Amino acid sequence: MRPLFSRTSVAIVRFVIAVTFSVATMVVDVRFEALSFVRQALKTSLWPIEKLASAPQEFSRSFAQWLSFRVSLVGRLESLSLDNERLKTEQLKLQTLRAENAELRRLLSVKERFSEQLLQAEINRLSNDPFIHRATINRGFLASVKKGQPVLSADGLIGQVVAVYPHASEVLLVTDSTHQLPVQVTRTRDRAIAIGVGLLNRLELRNLPDTVDMVSGDLLETSGLGGRFQSGIPVARVIDVIRSPGQPFARVMAVPIAQLSRLSLVMVDVSTEGSR
Amino acid sequence: MTFLVTWVASLLLIAAPFPAFMAIALPQWGLLFVVWWSLMRNYQLSITLLTFSSLPIDVLYGTALGMHAFIFALLAYVLTLLGPRVRQVNLVMQSVVVFFVLLVASAVSYWARTLTGLDPEFYILFTQTLASAIFWAPMRYLFERISNFTGEAGADSS
Repeated sequence: MRPLFSRTSVAIVRFVIAVTFSVATMVVDVRFEALSFVRQALKTSLWPIEKLASAPQEFSRSFAQWLSFRVSLVGRLESLSLDNERLKTEQLKLQTLRAENAELRRLLSVKERFSEQLLQAEINRLSNDPFIHRATINRGFLASVKKGQPVLSADGLIGQVVAVYPHASEVLLVTDSTHQLPVQVTRTRDRAIAIGVGLLNRLELRNLPDTVDMVSGDLLETSGLGGRFQSGIPVARVIDVIRSPGQPFARVMAVPIAQLSRLSLVMVDVSTEGSR
Repeated sequence: MTFLVTWVASLLLIAAPFPAFMAIALPQWGLLFVVWWSLMRNYQLSITLLTFSSLPIDVLYGTALGMHAFIFALLAYVLTLLGPRVRQVNLVMQSVVVFFVLLVASAVSYWARTLTGLDPEFYILFTQTLASAIFWAPMRYLFERISNFTGEAGADSS
C-alpha cells in the first residue's frame, strides 16, 4: 500500500479530499437526513459485534441470577405475589374508571384518549458517548416498531424511537440535548417545553413567565401537543424554580421520573402511528 | 489482516456496555486506533480505508456520519508528520504527545458536535482525552501483539 501522507503536496491534497468528503457526509446526514439507509445497513452489520461486546455483561448477569439464594427467591416471590394481588385489585378499579371515562367521553363526543398497545423491550446498550443520550433496544421493525413511537418505563416516559433496524431500534432519551418535549403541569395544566440538557438526571423548562405557578414537587406530564405523544404520560418532577430579579423569564429544573441510568426493561407504545 | 483485527478490537471496545457514570472517563478507543496506525504503521494505511472504517464508529456512538472521518483525517495528517520523531521517544513522552494531539482533536470534535446541534461540555472531552493518553501504552501493546500474531509486525515493533 502507498504511504498515508508523504511530505509532498499530495499529502495536503489527500487531507483536503478526506476532510471535504467527511464534511459533505456530515451535512447530508444531519441537514437532509438522507443517509438513514447507510446507517441502517451499518447498524445491521454491526449486530454481531454488539452482541459479542455485551456478552460478558450478559454472562455476569446470568451468573449473578444463578447464584441467587433460594431463600431470597422465595422472599421475592412472596413480595411479587402480594404486589400482584394489590395490582389486580387496582386494575379492577381502573377498569371501572375506564368504563366510566369512556362513557363520559362518548356522551361528550370526545375521542378515546388511551388506546396504547405496549411492546416489551430490553435495553441492549446506552451510547458510550456522554453527549448523546441514546439507547439501543432489542426490538426493531420486525416487531412493528416505528420511528417516532414513544418509549416508556414503569415510571413514565423515557424517550422516543428515532431509528429502526430489523432487530433493534434506537431510542432518543428525553434528556438528550437535542430532545424537546411538550409537557404540562398536572396540578395547574400550565404548558411548557421540557428540554434535555445532556444530563441523565435533568430536564429544563425555559422562557416561562416569571409569574408561572410552579412549585418544587409538581409533576410534569406530556401535554399531547404536537401529536407525537398521548397526553398524561408522567415525565418529570419539578425540583427547582429559578426566578432571577429583573429577568422576565423563570427557569424550571426537573428530574425525570424514570431512572434513565438504570433502565433495563422498557415498553414501546406500538399503537402510536409513528412519523414514517 | 492486522488492520481488520485491530479495527474489530476497537469496535468491540466502543460497543462494550459501561455504566453511565463511567462515560466521562472512557478512553476514545477509535482515536487511539487511528493514533496507533498513524504513528506505527502509516506506510500500510490508506486514507480511503481510514475514512470508511470510521463510519461504523459514528453508528455505534450515534454521532453524525462523517464526524469521525473528519477527526481521523486530521489526526492521521498531524501524526504522520510527527511520526518519525514521536516513535523515537519513550512511552511516557509518547503518551504526553498523544494527550496534546487528542486534545486538539477533541477541540475539533467539540466544534463539530456544536455544529450538529449538540451541547457538549468540554471538560468531559478533556477527561476522556486524559484517559486515552493513559491507555495509550496498553493499547499500543495490544495492537503490537495483534500485529505479531497476524505476522505483519512492522520494522519498528519491539
